[in-house]
Amino acid sequence: MIVALVLALLVASVLLLALNANPLEAYAAMWEGAAGKENATAETLVKATPILFVGIGITIAFRGGMINIGGEGQMIAGALAGVTIALILGEMRVPPELAKEKGAFDLIIVTCSLVGGFLAGALYGGLAGFLKAYFDVNEILSTIMLNQIAVQMMNFLLNGILLDPAEAGINNIPKTARLVTAAQLPRLSLPIGDPHLFARTRLHWGLIIAIVLAVIIYIFLWRTSLGYRIRAVGENQRASSYAGINVKRQMMFSMFLAGGFAGLAGVVQVLGLQYRLQTDGSPAGFTGAAGFNGIVAALFGGLNPIGAIPAAAFFGGLLVGAQKMQRELGVPASLITAVNGLIVVFVVSSEIFILQRSKRRVSLQETPDNLGSSGGKPADRASPDEGSG
Amino acid sequence: MKQRHLIILVFLLSWAGMPSLAQDDVFRVAALMPSAINDLAFSQSMYDGLVAVQDELGEDAFQFDVQDSTYIVDDAAVALRDWAASGEYQLVIAHGSQYGPIVEELATEFLDVSFAWGTRQDTFGLDNVYSYAAASDEGGYFNGVLAAHLTESRVIGLVGPIEVGDGKLYADGFANGVASVDPDIDVNIVFIGSFSDVPLATEAAETHIANGADILTGTAQMVVGPIASALENDVLWFGSDSSQDELSGDIGVAFQIYKWDVLLLDMISKIDEGILGGEYYVLTLENEGLVMEFDKDFEISDELMAVAEETIAGIVSGDIMPIPAMDDDMAAESEDEDDGEDSED
Repeated sequence: MIVALVLALLVASVLLLALNANPLEAYAAMWEGAAGKENATAETLVKATPILFVGIGITIAFRGGMINIGGEGQMIAGALAGVTIALILGEMRVPPELAKEKGAFDLIIVTCSLVGGFLAGALYGGLAGFLKAYFDVNEILSTIMLNQIAVQMMNFLLNGILLDPAEAGINNIPKTARLVTAAQLPRLSLPIGDPHLFARTRLHWGLIIAIVLAVIIYIFLWRTSLGYRIRAVGENQRASSYAGINVKRQMMFSMFLAGGFAGLAGVVQVLGLQYRLQTDGSPAGFTGAAGFNGIVAALFGGLNPIGAIPAAAFFGGLLVGAQKMQRELGVPASLITAVNGLIVVFVVSSEIFILQRSKRRVSLQETPDNLGSSGGKPADRASPDEGSG
Repeated sequence: MKQRHLIILVFLLSWAGMPSLAQDDVFRVAALMPSAINDLAFSQSMYDGLVAVQDELGEDAFQFDVQDSTYIVDDAAVALRDWAASGEYQLVIAHGSQYGPIVEELATEFLDVSFAWGTRQDTFGLDNVYSYAAASDEGGYFNGVLAAHLTESRVIGLVGPIEVGDGKLYADGFANGVASVDPDIDVNIVFIGSFSDVPLATEAAETHIANGADILTGTAQMVVGPIASALENDVLWFGSDSSQDELSGDIGVAFQIYKWDVLLLDMISKIDEGILGGEYYVLTLENEGLVMEFDKDFEISDELMAVAEETIAGIVSGDIMPIPAMDDDMAAESEDEDDGEDSED
């Protein structure tokens, strides 16, 4: 992994040199932008939060043998549901004069919004799972197409019934009204120093929620029978079916959960960061491409929810640090995209290389005698992943 | 183990320092833009404006940093906060109406930093926020009048981004300009719902051409697609925001150019006087913040030049109202401004 990262940075250095930019200065700027200061670190973690949510979901889907490319659309579905609930409940439960009251927090509004966002994303993801399980519709195609539907749905709603009343008829910028303070996730700070660490940054409790859920999902996948069934289906559908597992249900369920986590990513972006849903008409305008970056983070994390935590932080840092590189060196933004792409390609390629190599080793060890002694159960094939992802 | 904890603690505490402050007399500006600084449109207009200010004031007195292609709002927040917290910039510009909520949040947090954003006439009632807009309906009207004189098929296509801000103003002004010459000419307007989707804008342009349009126009950074379509199909092009002369070859006719340096210079002098915001600016033909420029390759007839001059004179004098209801709307909006302190440049 480290070798892949170094190789990627070396190739990127060639590009930087071609543009008369000093690679060492560039990477120093990237580091400074990602972790050099308190605010930089906070922004890295802020960027990592939705990536982690999506990455957890992608891990579940991949473990269930499903390839979910629909993180963007599921994020949008979750955000739409969550913001709608937060706006309605905010109006019902918070008097207008207290709408901007500092420090206000309403657990019911926030919980309902999070649950609503999860369910909306889950249903959206589950739809692709349903189509795959019962109609054999390729989930890669269906999730990509569902992304586009979600974007258009968002544009339609943000230009219609969800449009901020203050915008209607004046500027018509497609965005919802700002959430009342009580509906917002509180900012997160650590009791170190004065003022507290991260107190003056945008870091919010969504990060803690994501980390806790990553641990829970790890336990779910590797320590419960339901999680075992999902992984078994992902390893070998036919063997799972022979073992009495309802394969179609597990496929749907894994996509349901994957969509749910992407939905959570969307609603947490709204409740914790933007306090409203806003778009420039493109999907990434709201999601920041976290729906796609989450896939890379999941792979980088070894398809393990715990591994996804540092992976998300890494990619969050990469994205935030790249901006600093652009500002400091004045290199074109397209170069930053290329550098990020190179790192992703090298790192993911190394993962695939390692995976294939380990598969070859397993296949070499699976002589007829070995299979006979173990019985060839799917659990045995899954065992190399136990605890390590 | 304790040593490791101590190192981590020192590392964490080292972040918590106060932002450094610029120590010299150089006026520093940081500007965030949604598209590339060479997009021949919205972002380039601001970049050109900053370069013009630097030419005017000199590099010793004025410096600026730019982050372009930041169409993701969340990424914009990272850059804007970083600049505001650094204490190195007297003015932080968020060049895009989508950045408004971020500016509002940051301006309440960093009260000693001046922010500017547009295009929108809203300072959020804050004393450290300037806002700016362009009366792009004026240039739109001008282009519309000329287009109406040049069209032979009597079908004109317009490709717009999202139906907001100066893009919508331009479209309304353009349609009114065409109608002022001949209300029977068809002006087909399509807002593609995105500022950055070049393929979609290209498709819209191709559809206009297939529908008989012999003149195209459009706004925002995705117009490079429609310009290419116009070139391929030998269809005339009217532009806005920046000069698109170098891209439009021999099909370009006229461009409305935003001269942001006009307002930037005034902003800088006010900030130097200690006025950090609370006002909004509007670029107009009258204050020379808007400039109409003909394509170098376009051979304009004397008759058309006379029409052009007459139109500009009419708009500047107020005899021509590009959008007749505009005054009432703007007045109503101004009344809604909660600070009541804004003034038009």
